[in-house]
Parts: sequence; C-alpha cells; structure tokens
Amino acid sequence: MALYMMSVLFAYYILKAASRGLFLAKFDIDKLPGLYILIALFGGILAYVYTKIAIRSSLKAAVLGATAVSVVVLLGLVPLLRTGQMWTYYFFNIWVSLFSIMLVSQGWLIAGNVFTSREAKRLYGILGVGSVIGAAFGGTFAAWLVGLIGVGNLLFPCAGMVVVAYGLFRLMLRLPGVNLDQAKGADDEEAEFSLGEILRSVKESRHLQVIVASITITYVVDVMVEYQFSAMAKEAYASDPTGKQLTAFLGNFYGLWLNLITFFLQLFLTSFVASRFGVGGTLQIMPVTLFIASVVTYLSPSVLTTAGARLAEAATRYSFNRTGMELLYLPLPVELRNRVKAFLDIVVDRLARGLGGAILIVLGTWLHLGIDDVAIAVLVLTVLWMVLSWLAQREYVTTVRNRLASRRLDLESVRVAVTDLETIRMLEQTAQSEQPRQAAYALSLLAESAGYDPAALLAKMSKTAEAAVRAPMYRLAMAAGDKSLMARAEAELAGGAPVPEAIAYLLAQSGDPDTQVGALLDHENATVARAALDNLARHPERAQRLLSDGWLNAASKHADPQRRALAATAVRIRGDAGTAVLHQLLADPAPAVVTSALAAAGHLQNRSYLDALLGRLGHARYRGDALRALAAFGDKITGSLSDLMNDETVAVAVRRQIPRVLRRIPTQRSVDALLAAINARDLTLRATVLRSLNGLREEQPQLTYGTQPVVAQIHAEAKFYYEMSATLAAFEKKQGDSPAASLLVRTLQDRLRDTISRLFRLLGLQFPPTEIYSAYLAVRRKGSGESYTTALEFLDQVLDRDLKRVVLPLLDSSTNVLERGKELYGVNLPEVEEALRRLMKSGDNWLVCCAMATAGEWKMKQLSDDIRCLKDSGEEVCAVASQVSATLTVL
Amino acid sequence: MAELNIIERVIALEGVDLLKNLSPEQLSRIASIAKEVRYAPGKRILDAASAQDSLFVILDGKVELASNGSVLHTAQQGEVLGAWALFDSEPLPVQATASHDVHLLRISRDDFFDLLSDNMEITAAIFSTLVRRFRQITEAIKQ
Repeated sequence: MALYMMSVLFAYYILKAASRGLFLAKFDIDKLPGLYILIALFGGILAYVYTKIAIRSSLKAAVLGATAVSVVVLLGLVPLLRTGQMWTYYFFNIWVSLFSIMLVSQGWLIAGNVFTSREAKRLYGILGVGSVIGAAFGGTFAAWLVGLIGVGNLLFPCAGMVVVAYGLFRLMLRLPGVNLDQAKGADDEEAEFSLGEILRSVKESRHLQVIVASITITYVVDVMVEYQFSAMAKEAYASDPTGKQLTAFLGNFYGLWLNLITFFLQLFLTSFVASRFGVGGTLQIMPVTLFIASVVTYLSPSVLTTAGARLAEAATRYSFNRTGMELLYLPLPVELRNRVKAFLDIVVDRLARGLGGAILIVLGTWLHLGIDDVAIAVLVLTVLWMVLSWLAQREYVTTVRNRLASRRLDLESVRVAVTDLETIRMLEQTAQSEQPRQAAYALSLLAESAGYDPAALLAKMSKTAEAAVRAPMYRLAMAAGDKSLMARAEAELAGGAPVPEAIAYLLAQSGDPDTQVGALLDHENATVARAALDNLARHPERAQRLLSDGWLNAASKHADPQRRALAATAVRIRGDAGTAVLHQLLADPAPAVVTSALAAAGHLQNRSYLDALLGRLGHARYRGDALRALAAFGDKITGSLSDLMNDETVAVAVRRQIPRVLRRIPTQRSVDALLAAINARDLTLRATVLRSLNGLREEQPQLTYGTQPVVAQIHAEAKFYYEMSATLAAFEKKQGDSPAASLLVRTLQDRLRDTISRLFRLLGLQFPPTEIYSAYLAVRRKGSGESYTTALEFLDQVLDRDLKRVVLPLLDSSTNVLERGKELYGVNLPEVEEALRRLMKSGDNWLVCCAMATAGEWKMKQLSDDIRCLKDSGEEVCAVASQVSATLTVL
Repeated sequence: MAELNIIERVIALEGVDLLKNLSPEQLSRIASIAKEVRYAPGKRILDAASAQDSLFVILDGKVELASNGSVLHTAQQGEVLGAWALFDSEPLPVQATASHDVHLLRISRDDFFDLLSDNMEITAAIFSTLVRRFRQITEAIKQ
C-alpha cells in the first residue's frame, strides 16, 4: 500500500511541477487567476462526473478505469503540447487537478477498504511516509530530468509510474486477507449528499458555519499566496521560455522542500501542539504564520520571501490546519460528518479557490494592484481568519460538551492519532462526574485516545465504587499499561465481588499468569472463574495447559448451573478433542448451560452436534442461540439443512426455522437450497422460505435467484389464487349466520391475501425488490387511488407478457377473477358440496376442520363418507371429524 | 359432556376483545393451547388475594364477580375473566365464584407466551390491539 501511494505521488508531483511550469512560461501572470477559476469550474465538474461513475463501479474497476484513462490522456498530451496551442496548457492544468482526485484519493480509498479503522490509525502514518517519499522523489526527479528531456516528455515517466502503481494494486489484491470484491469505486457519501440537506444543516448549525467559513478562507488565501509565489518565480526565470528551469524549480520546491517540511511538522510538532494548545491553538498557527510571512512579503517582495510564505502556507495547511480541522469535525454525528466532508471537499474547496481567482482578477486586472498589495489583502484575510479560529474553538467546546452529555461522541471513526487538549480535559471531567453512564462513556473514549497517559486520572478515581465506572476504569488502565490499580483490583478480588475487568487487569499484570489463572478457575465466585476463562480465550496455549479433561468433567457435572455453563465455555476455548461433555451440556436442563453449549458447538463446528442443535431449533427459548450456532457452520451444512427442510417426516417446528439459518449463510448454495423449497406444502414454511430469499436478495444482490423455479412458482401461486377465489365464491352467498361457514370464508380470504403476499415476494426475486415492495403496499391498500393505479402501471411495465397475463388480473379489481381463472387454468366455479369436498382433501388442516364443521352446520349428509375418511388424520382434525360425523348420523 | 373441538373453541375465543385482530387460523393456534375446566357452584375461580396466571372464557354457566362481599356483575356465556392476567400477574380487584355449574376455557400465561414466541404474527396482532386500546384511552383522556 505504501509503495502504491509512493508511485502515485511520484507521478503527481512530476505533473504538478510540469503543468504549472509550462503555464507560467507560456502565459503572462495575469492569466493565472483565470486558470484558478477554470480549474475550480471544470475540475469540479470532472470530479463530480468521476465520482458518479465510480460510485456505480467496483473499486477494482474504478482503479483499472482511472489507470487506463490517465495513461491514455498522459500519452495523448505529449503530442498535443508540442503543437503549442494555448488551450492545451489550460487542459493540462485542469487534468492534473482531476488526476489528484482520481488516483491520490483512490489510494486513500483503497487503504480505507484494506484496513479497519483501528489498523488505519496505526498504519496511516506509514502510508503518509510512503506518500512523502513518493512526492519528494517525484519532484526531485522532475527537476533532474527536465533539463535532459524537456517538460513535455516528463509525461512519459509519469505514465510509467501510473502503470507501476496499478501493478502494485494487483499484487496487493493477491495478499492474504485482502478482499476488495465488495468495495465500491467511491464512498457513498461522496456521491449521495443532497445539496439542500447539507445547506439546511449548515444553516442550522453554527459549528458547521464556522467550518465552512474556515475552509473558504483557507483556500482563498491558498490561491492568493500561490499567485504571489508564481508571479515571483516567473519573474525570476523569465529568461527561459521553454519552462524547463521553472519546472525544475517547482519540482524541487513542491516535491522536495514542501513535503519534507510538512512531514517534519506532522511528525514532530502537530501532535504536540494539538495536545498542548487544543483545537483553537492548532487552528491559529496557520493564520498567524501567514500574517508574519505576508508582512515580510509586503516589506520585501521577492522570490525568496514569497517562496517562504508559500512554504509556510502549504506546510501549515497540510499539518496543523488539517489536524485542527479533523478535530473540528469530531463532535458531529458520523453520517453528517461524512456527508459534510464530502460536500466541503467537492464543492466548498473549489468554490473557494474560484473565489480566490476572482479576487485576484479584481485586485490585479481591475484595480491594477501589485504583488505587495496582494500581500496586504492576505494580511487582512489572516486577521479575519484568526477571529474565525477563535470562534471555531468556542463552538467546538460547546458542541463536544453537548455531545458528551448525550454520549454521542465517536472518536473511533476519526482517523487522527492525536486528541486535543480540550477534548481530553472534558473527558477527564466527565469521567469524574456523578453520572455513572457518562463517566463510563468518557473513560471508554479515553481508552481509545492514542498516547494518553491516564495515571493522574486513575489516581483521582481509584476509590470509585460504581461497577459501571470501575469496569471501563480497569480497561483504560490495561490499555495504557498502567499498574496503579493493582492494590484496588486485589482488594476487589478479596472482597468477593469484583467486576470481571478487575480480574482481567490483575491477570494482564501478573508475573505468573498460569498459576493465577489456574487458581481463579476454581474460585467460588463464578464471575471470577469466567473472567479467568476470558483470559484463557486470549491465550490458547495457556488454555490447553490449564483446561484439562479432569477440570472439564468436574465442572460439567457440578450442581451449580453456572459452573456447567463455564464448562461449555471452556470447551469452546480449548476444543472438544478427547471429551464428550458438550453433548451432555447441550441436553442440560438449565437454560444458561444450554445457551453456552450452543455457542460452543457453533464455534467448534463439529457436525456431531448437528442433531442437538437442530433439536433446540424447535424450542423458542433456545431458538436464537441455535440459529446462530448453526449459521456459524456456514456453507458446509447447507446441503444437510436443505434435506431436513424438505423432509416432511422432520418436525415442522424445526423445518420452519431452517430458512432463517440459511438466510444467515449468505452463499449461492443457501439461495439454491431455499429456491428448492419455494413450493413447500406447509404454507408457513413456504412464507418463511420466501422471506429469507427476499432478505438475501436485498443483502446479496450479486447471487443468482434462479428464474425458472421462481416463474414456475408464480404460476403455481396464481393458479392456487384462482382456485381459492372460485371456492370462496361458492360459499360467500350461502354463509348466512353459520359460525363455522363464517370461519371458513374468513380463512379463505386470509389465504387469498397470503397468496398475494407470496406472489409479490416471488416477484421481488426477479425484479427490483424496493419497487416491488412499494407496489405490494399500494395493492394491499387497494382502491386508495393514484398509488394503486401507479403500482399496476409499474407492474404492467416490468412484467413480461407471460407473467402479466396471470398476475395482473389478480390485482386489478376491475377484472372478473373467476372468468380469468377459467380462461387461464380451466378453474370452474364449484357447487358448495364439491367445494367442501375439495377443501377436505386439501391437506390444510385448519381448512379441513372448517370445511367439516361447515358441512355439519349445513347438515350435508352426503359428505358423511368423506368426513369419516378423515378420522385417521391429526388429533384436531380427528376430533372435529368424529363430532361432525356423529351429528350427521343423528339426522 | 364431550370436549369442544377446535372449531368450537375458536368460535368461543372470537368473543375475547384482546384477540379481536387475530385471523381464524391464528385463533385456532390459541385454541389448541386452551384447556377446558369445570367448576361446581360456589367454587372460587379467581381470588382477589392471589396472583393470576390465566385467562378464562365462559363456555357455559354463570360466574359472580364480587368485591368486598357485594356482587358487582354476573358474567355469562361468552364473557371473559382475567383478560389482562396474560400480561400482568397482579391480583384482580374482584373475586369470581361459580354460581352454577360452570364450563370454562382456560389459557395459561406460560403456554400463551410459548405460543407467542413461535408465532410472530400473533404477537404482532395482539400488540396492535393493545396499541389501539392505548390510543383510545389517550383520546378519551384528551377529550
């Protein structure tokens, strides 16, 4: 990753020097503000278009695309620049601004997908070093090579480095643990922010207004300082019309000097300043430095003083200002923070640079002011900036305080290695507050703050009695390697009611952990023994030594269920080789033991526990744990699960839960197993299968949800609907005040509603699920006007002719369903007797009961034989059949 | 007297306000956990002093509901006793005594909860009834 960043930055710093060097050599300095505006405008549009395309592509495709486009454009630019046409120099500079967005930002996006946020905090420093080395070498290389091959030909090595970077990306994909299959080509937030929503947020939040104003002023000043520097540099190298000397100078300046100074400031000073002077102090450094630099520039305008100002501006912006701004974002909710940052990066940054260009045009072209006068303008802006930084600090403190009070501060998602002084102080105060939950929250945030020394705080808090506060206090001490709480933890242990974190802390500091853990495993307090087991879970070799078969057997037979639950956890930690205790624990009468045993079985993934796990699936008390345990086995049991789900001799309570297990195994085999059961006879199972398939489709749209079986089932459900409608029509007129017939009619209506629901779920497997669900909701509220009509029109558009023919008539209230059923599937309107007879043979127990009871109420003696045949069915059917038969016999 | 079959039990349960939103098939699942019980005249069905754990539906007979010795109401066929006992174990403010031979359908809280945990749609329907009831009470208080 570091090599990748190095290659990209190498190419970028060659391009940066070459593009600006050529422009300054070919044009008067008064054309530069226009270029700033064009870069802001076209660079912004191109960046927006790129982000829109990238968000729809995978990261791999985006990297390949960006590489290919970059190489083609770079190689194409070489002959174009040789023509000497003016537009080519503008195009070149605009293109370089897009290059940084595509390839440099892409590098950080790759890093964001390869590393977790914790790894990122640790490793981004290394990537930063790679970037600095790449930039420094790129700039120096450009300065050396330009004298030999000319400015235009520098684009060849650039193209070469872009190809090298792509090669490194491909190599990285082969590394173990790197999987970018699901990664998108751009962050969602980048493309999906809504301008109206962001502007509303900015309008409502003073904090955001200060951020926007700070960024605007930063980039306006950036443009003005760069302009001064460019003007002086152009003047200094005016004798070289080829731009070679200017390019060499800019290469060294930007690539080598600027990067080295920024690197030095970032490495040695930024954290120190942020932790010592807080957000406000960090944000003040840039305007104060620029104020001084601008005074010098005004008094003595030269290439040296403007270069100094430019170095001060860019180096403090990349180091202090960037860190200060990151901290300024910290108290915002994560989603808003991501959206706002994307908005600022894409829109405000460019608008501000464009605004800077416009101000320069007013100052230079209209007011005919010189470089020293621009320095005065910068001076005024820096004073304004200092006030803004002071305001920013005030807003930051207020917002952090409010967020802390509501426990909504997220340090984890901020990729900075320092946490500023104000935040630390506020967290320390909150940690010592009277409110335990806030105190615990503050302590957990402090534990995440890299480099924080908690000794002083822990000394003040060592007498805290609240368990909710003691736990994070020990975690903080452990994270910092602080040993000052040893006596306190030992006292807690001796007192008999320690928090588990106290034991974890003691064991982490222990000189002889084997002996201590061994002793604590048999501690009379089960919480202590569990904390000892937690320690063994982190030290597998120690677990093998201490968790003997003898210990397991004794614990598994202990009278106390908590001990037996510990035995199950111990099996999970050390494995089940040579012991069969987990089988016994899975059948334990105590729920806590079974729960631990289920977790252990899922962790070990030993198929010999499958029967026990499946058995527990049928019990509501254990269902959740059994589901998780079975899902942990993954794809290797999907075949067995499929067989059981389709086996009608297996308890239906178990079969109905299997689709939920399969949903948690998001693979093609799970989908195939579920598809094989979409026509299950049991309607509840069928509905659960479809729910699981819909859930998988939503989360795993890349899997294949077989067309043929789904279409066949849509036809089967449609036919069922037409048949049920015909049966219902036979009873509707006759039901009168017969209670059993009323139950039968309402059950048939329920069946029709359920069938429509299943039909839409099936359609959701073939067509866009969200739209299909919206159509379902509209159809369910049948007759509610426009949305219903729109839903029918939508289905008319998306369904193919075959499906449209069978599905639409079911939903369209103007259609005669009975006629269409006859036409499509030959379904006839049955006589009442025939309809009841069919229902009695349907195999749907509840409908069978209703049909028999209706026959009894209507005294339909002619159905006596059919009812008598059902006496051998299930218990409830049999009871109804016997009573109805007896009634009919008496008649 | 013969036991009620599932259909008859469902018809009896249709009168229970708490179960109003349930479909006939969902009611049949509740009917399958209901047990028939009989009380002789004078037998105490619900005691004001003890915690309740069951709902009763009167299938046949009459039950006197009394408080502090005075009869407040005589419940008859189709009426429900202790509807909220399914969710709340607090003793009732009244006691119920069979005034004739009484035939009841009894649903115990444990069986009911087991059933709910296996049938999400029944739980949802009962929640919806409770929410509706809560809304009605809120509206009534507002007026």
